[in-house]
Amino acid sequence: MEHPPEISQRLVRRLQWIWLGGAFLLVGGIIVWIIHLIVASWRLDDVIQASVGISIVAIPIFLVFIGVVFYVFWGVALHGGKSED
Amino acid sequence: MAEVRDAHEDILFAPIELTGPGFYWAVAGLSVLILWGAIAYGVQFTQGLGVTGLDQPVSWGFYVTNFVFFIGISHAGTLISAILRLSKAEWRRPITRMAEVITCMVIFIGAGQILVDLGRPDRMMNVLLHGRYQSPLLWDATSISAYLTASLTYLYLPMIPDIAILRDRLGKRKLLYSVLALGWTGTEYQQKVLNRAIAIMAVLVIPIAISVHSVVSFVFSMTLQPAWHSTIFGPYFVVGAIFSGIAGLIVTMIIFRKAYGLHYYLKPIHFRYLGQLLLIMALLWFYFTFAEYLTGYYGAEPEELKVFWSKFTGPFWPFFWSMVLCNFVVPLVCLASLKQHTVGKVLIASLFIVVGMWLERFIIVVPTLSFPRLPFPVGVYWPTWVEWGETAGSLALFALFYLLFTKFFPIISIWEIREGREHSVREVEERILSYLPGEVEEKT
Repeated sequence: MEHPPEISQRLVRRLQWIWLGGAFLLVGGIIVWIIHLIVASWRLDDVIQASVGISIVAIPIFLVFIGVVFYVFWGVALHGGKSED
Repeated sequence: MAEVRDAHEDILFAPIELTGPGFYWAVAGLSVLILWGAIAYGVQFTQGLGVTGLDQPVSWGFYVTNFVFFIGISHAGTLISAILRLSKAEWRRPITRMAEVITCMVIFIGAGQILVDLGRPDRMMNVLLHGRYQSPLLWDATSISAYLTASLTYLYLPMIPDIAILRDRLGKRKLLYSVLALGWTGTEYQQKVLNRAIAIMAVLVIPIAISVHSVVSFVFSMTLQPAWHSTIFGPYFVVGAIFSGIAGLIVTMIIFRKAYGLHYYLKPIHFRYLGQLLLIMALLWFYFTFAEYLTGYYGAEPEELKVFWSKFTGPFWPFFWSMVLCNFVVPLVCLASLKQHTVGKVLIASLFIVVGMWLERFIIVVPTLSFPRLPFPVGVYWPTWVEWGETAGSLALFALFYLLFTKFFPIISIWEIREGREHSVREVEERILSYLPGEVEEKT
């Protein structure tokens, strides 16, 4: 028995998806912000190479974070409890 | 053996299951300080930064000092947890959670100092909408965002098995624990996924943490201000951050050891090892400080020397020499020998270092602004009750957050302790044997 009977499994799973959605929203928001700064510097012709240079490092890092979170969600919540292999 | 283990594990659940009068007294005390901070901020918000001691040319004072200090303390989690985890230091097991929690809480408090320093928090929108990546301030915003995200992830992942234990054991907060546990049942596959994710985060969080404090130092060193324009500021700040982070962690450990009766888990040996680390960091910090000031003195650039002498013999001498006393002399005396009274000595050294590192940040920020390169008159900075209140409130807010965390989650990682008992004793033995010549064939 994974959860006590008084708690709806469906509610728990739904809240877990919301939890994951919040993580995506946080990281996605930061990435959108960084891209916005690139666009602003390009539009204003304001040393775009600085923005691009930093973004090349920063954006993949955030993508790795969210990748790790999704991997854990996928591995633990969606597939992990079913088998022992 | 199992019975002994269960009996002691109850100590870890006790703060979550029971709430004694001590908790309410602590919350009340901290709330008073937070109220003081809130009133101070309210006055500043309505009347402007004029109610603080900040003025021209000293436009950065307590708030920026606190910012650098708190971000430095956040390095506790990185060093103790990530580095020790990767290096398979087994003594880390009861310590990692405490360190990771410090990191997450303190980043919030540290970043908040910038909002307070702005005077008008709505100006934060300028960073979001019109930020320019030529400014190191924006590098800071980006790297702190990355560090915060990484630290939250790195705190949460190793908590999943413990949250599942709470879900199955406690009669309250079932929904919260069920959601956060992600359906953890401890299967081999789940463990494999989690271990892999923790390892990835442990590797990632180290360079990010180093980058954060390097970038914090760039806010100063990228300017041409005397005593700020230094090539070693990056590593100097990182060393100071790790130094203060370990000290902050030790103080936290000792407080909760006493408050929650964790003597069974946090033994003198842990404090001895942390004390040795602290001693190494004290020597390293002294080396960097010596190199930094010697270079400035030898260069004898007039503006640089004004700042230099203001610290050594001028108006800032009490702060400078107190810093040297707290960060070097006292730790050296306390930590040189840890055969007896280990916990007490390490605590004294750590308390002095926490104070000393705050002074170090102050000594970096304020004297340079008091003696600027540009033709301003010499500035005088006296913090008002507003800054004292905000500082006290910030510290209290950190302590309150930490305390509340311990009411929801175990402050020592239960599953890692179990893992240590069940697997690591054998693994360590095998590992040691594999280091020795000829005892065990190396697997390739």
